[in-house]
Amino acid sequence: MRRQLRSRRAPAFPYGYRHRLDDQDEVNQNYLADEEEEAEEEARVMVVPDLEEEEGEKEEEERSQGKMTGNAWWQKLQIMIEYLWDPERRMSLAQTGQSWSLILFIYFFFYASLAAVITLCMYMLFLTISPYMPTFTERVKTPGVMIRPFAHSLNFNFNISEPDTWQHYVISLNGFLQGYNDSLQEEMNVDCPPGQYFIQDGSDDEDKKACQFKRSFLKNCSGLEDPTFGYSTGQPCILLKMNRIVGFRPELGDPVKVSCKVQKGDENDIRSINYYPESASFDLRYYPYYGKLTHVNYTSPLVAMHFTDVVKNQAVPVKCQLKGKGIINDVINDHFVGRVIFTLNIET
Amino acid sequence: MERGGKRGKVSPHGQHPSRKPKREPKIKTKKKVKRDTKKKDMEELKKEVVMNDHQLTLKELSTKYSVDLTNGQSPEKAKEILIRDGPNTLTPPHTTPEWVKFCKQLFSGFALLLWISSILCFVAHGIQLYFNEKSSSDNLYLGIVLAVVVGITGCFSYYQEAKSSKIMESFKNMVPQQAQVIRGGQKMQINVQDVVVGDLVEVKAGDRIPADLRLISAQGCKVDNSSLTGESEPQSRSTDFTHENPLETRNICFFSTNCVEGSARGVVIATGDSTVMGRIASLASGLKTGKTPIGAEIEHFIHLITGVAVFLGVTFFVLSLALGYGWLKAVIFLIGIIVANVPEGLLATVTVCLTLTAKRMARKNCLVKNLEAVETLGSTSTICSDKTGTLTQNRMTVAHMWFDRTVYHDDTSEEQTGKFTKGSETWFVLARIAGLCNRADFKADQETLPVAKRETTGDASESALLKFVEQSYGSVKEMREKSPKVAEIPFNSTNKYQLSIHRHEDGSPGHVLMMKGAPERILEFCSSFLLHGQEFPIDDKMKNAFQDAYSELGGLGERVLGFCFLNLPSSFSTGFPFNTDEINFPMSNLCFVGLVSMIDPPRAAVPSAVSKCRSAGIKVIMVTGDHPITAKAIARGVGIISEGTETAEDIAARLGIPISQVKARNAKAIVVHGSELKDMNSEQLNQILQNHTEIVFARTSPQQKLIIVEGCQKLGAIVAVTGDGVNDSPALKKADIGIAMGITGSDVSKQAADLILLDDNFASIVTGVEEGRLIFDNLKKSIAYTLTSNIPEITPFLLFIILGIPLPLGTITILCIDLGTDMVPAISLAYESPESDIMQRQPRNPKTDNLVNHHLIGIAYGQIGMIQALAGFFTYFVVMAENGFMPLHLLGIRLKWDDPFLNNLEDSYGQQWTYEQRKVVEFTCHTAFFASIVVVQWADLIICKTRRNSVFQQGMKNKVLIFGLLEETLLAALLSYTPGMGVALRMYPLRVTWWLCAIPYGIVIFICDEVRKLIIRKRPEGWLERGDILLTSAEELRMTRVPRARTELDTSERAYELEADTE
Repeated sequence: MRRQLRSRRAPAFPYGYRHRLDDQDEVNQNYLADEEEEAEEEARVMVVPDLEEEEGEKEEEERSQGKMTGNAWWQKLQIMIEYLWDPERRMSLAQTGQSWSLILFIYFFFYASLAAVITLCMYMLFLTISPYMPTFTERVKTPGVMIRPFAHSLNFNFNISEPDTWQHYVISLNGFLQGYNDSLQEEMNVDCPPGQYFIQDGSDDEDKKACQFKRSFLKNCSGLEDPTFGYSTGQPCILLKMNRIVGFRPELGDPVKVSCKVQKGDENDIRSINYYPESASFDLRYYPYYGKLTHVNYTSPLVAMHFTDVVKNQAVPVKCQLKGKGIINDVINDHFVGRVIFTLNIET
Repeated sequence: MERGGKRGKVSPHGQHPSRKPKREPKIKTKKKVKRDTKKKDMEELKKEVVMNDHQLTLKELSTKYSVDLTNGQSPEKAKEILIRDGPNTLTPPHTTPEWVKFCKQLFSGFALLLWISSILCFVAHGIQLYFNEKSSSDNLYLGIVLAVVVGITGCFSYYQEAKSSKIMESFKNMVPQQAQVIRGGQKMQINVQDVVVGDLVEVKAGDRIPADLRLISAQGCKVDNSSLTGESEPQSRSTDFTHENPLETRNICFFSTNCVEGSARGVVIATGDSTVMGRIASLASGLKTGKTPIGAEIEHFIHLITGVAVFLGVTFFVLSLALGYGWLKAVIFLIGIIVANVPEGLLATVTVCLTLTAKRMARKNCLVKNLEAVETLGSTSTICSDKTGTLTQNRMTVAHMWFDRTVYHDDTSEEQTGKFTKGSETWFVLARIAGLCNRADFKADQETLPVAKRETTGDASESALLKFVEQSYGSVKEMREKSPKVAEIPFNSTNKYQLSIHRHEDGSPGHVLMMKGAPERILEFCSSFLLHGQEFPIDDKMKNAFQDAYSELGGLGERVLGFCFLNLPSSFSTGFPFNTDEINFPMSNLCFVGLVSMIDPPRAAVPSAVSKCRSAGIKVIMVTGDHPITAKAIARGVGIISEGTETAEDIAARLGIPISQVKARNAKAIVVHGSELKDMNSEQLNQILQNHTEIVFARTSPQQKLIIVEGCQKLGAIVAVTGDGVNDSPALKKADIGIAMGITGSDVSKQAADLILLDDNFASIVTGVEEGRLIFDNLKKSIAYTLTSNIPEITPFLLFIILGIPLPLGTITILCIDLGTDMVPAISLAYESPESDIMQRQPRNPKTDNLVNHHLIGIAYGQIGMIQALAGFFTYFVVMAENGFMPLHLLGIRLKWDDPFLNNLEDSYGQQWTYEQRKVVEFTCHTAFFASIVVVQWADLIICKTRRNSVFQQGMKNKVLIFGLLEETLLAALLSYTPGMGVALRMYPLRVTWWLCAIPYGIVIFICDEVRKLIIRKRPEGWLERGDILLTSAEELRMTRVPRARTELDTSERAYELEADTE
């Protein structure tokens, strides 16, 4: 019984390791069992035990010994293969088909239970989370800033006389402003009074209305009059957008303003910038934002910067900052919170 | 070092042994040739000593060494030879230079794995740099950290081993020895190292033999060869050629043995490394030792880990290619996954655990020289023990007396507190003879010491008698002053007796003649015997009683001496000129008094230690250079041959049949003589080792000891060898663990050993076994604990690749777990107390009971690790969701998320995030994931405490473990909440609720494992037979099986008894 167990447990080593005491007893017991068969033999003190006695075992040992003498690698490989699939005992990886199915069953059961546990936990999580209001907004308290056109780079490099170098900016801006088309805005959104918050009380799951921000507000930068947004004349328009944050409200009576200047170097590299809307600010009526589930048509306000007179043929680093109470624009390791830095290099 | 090159071919008989350079391993070019010669030399060393100098006549000797046997060599020639042969010292065992040792620590086993991963990291970083991949320098940092970890751990373990070898150094005593040589007819004192072949050397009692000598004259010379052959008795030396075997012949004295008596003059026939002693020493230092069991286990573990790592890596390499990542990305992923599988902290954990145990063992007087040897004792399945000095006290002691027809027993324990007092008249006479007819004496200035501890001059058996009399009778000095010696015939091998004549004690003019010697010789002189102080004529009845007593004491392996006396007639009164050359006094019709027998007694603690080893399933084999009878007696005395087991001879004697008719298998015990061993092939030796449980090898040479050890190892046993003499050192080196004696052991043996018993107490080995087994069990727990957290560390990266979610756990946080929070708890498991009586278990089978096997990996990775990973992911999703990113929103967001130019990424609420803002959330997630791993690791630590018992059975008594729990929590909190961590390690403060997310999973882990353990305890065999998924290792199997194995052993023994009786 014990022996069976052992060999099943260690199939890769079929010939047992018999140095252990209990094993030796086992051998002794074998001796006892067939002790009557053979009569006597042997000489002197250190006697070689009768060979016939353990014929079976001997044979096996010899076989394995033969194997031993072979190439060690070959032998290892054989053991490996036998471990993977042992045709004699119909075992793979030291397990029989039956035990494999048991293992699979138990693991299946185990993982199924785990799946149940995590499902339950996730369910509980969703119970505690509102789909309308984020639980914590501390990590996005202050809005980030993005500019358009955006082409995975913050360097605006173009040559006025070569439309190919700036055409993609125009396309990008045009595409971006499609959602701001006056007709669309008038159709979808309401015209709400400027200078004050557009507060819509009511339960969380009620749909909210959105204020209009028309393309025409951007005047010279709307692309309506100058379809090249000034790029053809070397007076590029760049749109600035503040990141949406649920519940963000600028200080009452003090809307967030945008101001740009040369970041490093000669202040006079930029001689004039026109802002549209002229206030260079995001009107209060666009706040607060109620989240995308209910505030479906919300249109982010924009400020367009028209760089009408910039030094040409030279890279000019520009820093545009948001200004207003509650706005942080000097976080050291985040260059997009409350500010954005880009370079203009207009060639003629 | 220059001496190393000159190590000669080891044939002392060759006059100019060819000096082949054979050990300069540093020269790489002629490597192959060198290896061959080295191998050949090793084979040669393993053979028995061959020399013929002892068979030569003096004349031949004189010619051979071209030396004048009276005047010696000329000083000039001696100088020449000295230059040719080099100084007469043993080449110090090839000590590896410190930097090599250091490098070994740095680049062995586990460390190598870490180095490789570190290099892989640099490669990955290099690839990223080369192809301008925009990414963080995580790989660079990881590579550096890995290298630093290996470096620090290497330094630490180097420092540990250097410390213990420093203790070793202190053993060495560097007293320069002097030798007296005759050169050019002049006697001169020179340093031993200047002695050359052919020198005439004089030695006297107390000297150390300066080189191998062929005696040309000797006066009562006796040498103590115990360090070479293991014989505990001094051997007499003469000029006669008495035995073919140079080790047994009388006319050779061996280098570094001691002359204890008499004086002698001899020709130096070999010096330095070519001496017999030198050969053994170089045999020992030339032996390659195998891997330690724990080393092999760690290698096995590395194989498993690399297997898993490569499997995962390749799978995900293919997967990521299939998912459309570029090959470059895929390669980076591949490396990342492989590296992530390496448990960075485990090397340090294992090292610290081993160090702790080594320290604990050192406190219990086991000094471990090599850290990995700490565990080896625990896996030991066979102990080959030397007899002299290890099992015995290495000093002759009076054990029995026979007088008044009774055998009396004397206390032979180390302290010898029991005083032997008998009121019998005969006893007084016996004591007087033992004290007076005795040439031994105490050395001066030892009055304060207990008698047993005092040093004596003279023969060991005489010293034994001296001490015995001093202790049980009274001051021998006084006795000798009262009855001064007037004449004496010293003992010699032809007479076999010693005689002395003394004045009467009371000052009366008469003399008394006293004699002691070989009992049968003594009895021949006697016509009467003393019984209770009365003289009776010797009759047959008395003779029979004498014979019985003599053979009984002799059968105990004791050296028996007879004592008799004669009151000389008044004609021999004061002033009579006794002549011991032409005997002019009566030497017959003496009065027989009694017998005294002596033995080198076993140490007191040995029998219980042996029986403890037995019950721990360890086979104890005695391997000694001493005689079979003595060896067998001691073996019986200490339980190596237990009561009730018999050798073939015993059975034959009991049943009255010739020995050839005894069935070999009935005799479980066997005593094998060295000369029989010499004629055996390895198959026969295997048979002996396999078929007998109680084995004694007697009269073995050092080479044979080596063969026996190798034989045991071939059978798969892990062998410990204990020994103190030079003759043991090859076996000590060859053994899986060599154990030397700290006090009595020779330097050579200590050099060869891995472990040193500072108190020379065999019983300390049992402590060592216990500690070794415990650390094996506990290392298993530590590793299980450490490995588990690997899964929650890898899965984030895998899901990052597959699902495209923001990375839930970063490199820094992984390192914080592996090298920070997991460290102390993992180490604290080393302090865990055993779950069951580890000394009642069988030793582990090195082939099946592995440190880490697929069960352990299965449980750690497949079960507990998975739960932990779920806990981490749940926390991750909670943090993300509460910050605005719902789980489903996260799928596939990876590319946008990691784009630093995308600063308006929308979350589930339509809010827009800059790159940095969302990265802060991501790093908060890393911190939260980290925290939840810490939380689930609490549960893991508690379940890893035990592998079988419930925690409720085991209790939480391990204070270090509780400290570990607190420490890991505090460290995690510190990492999360310390201001500035956001900049330093990018870890951010967590909300309290985020800590709690993982707690349910901790509870799940705990419950799961308690259930598993319950099933193991209730139905070990049932689960085992049906697929052993729940078992962690073969260890459980062993634990549950032992009681049954023991009963079987009992029944088989009983059956054997029955059968033996009917035969």
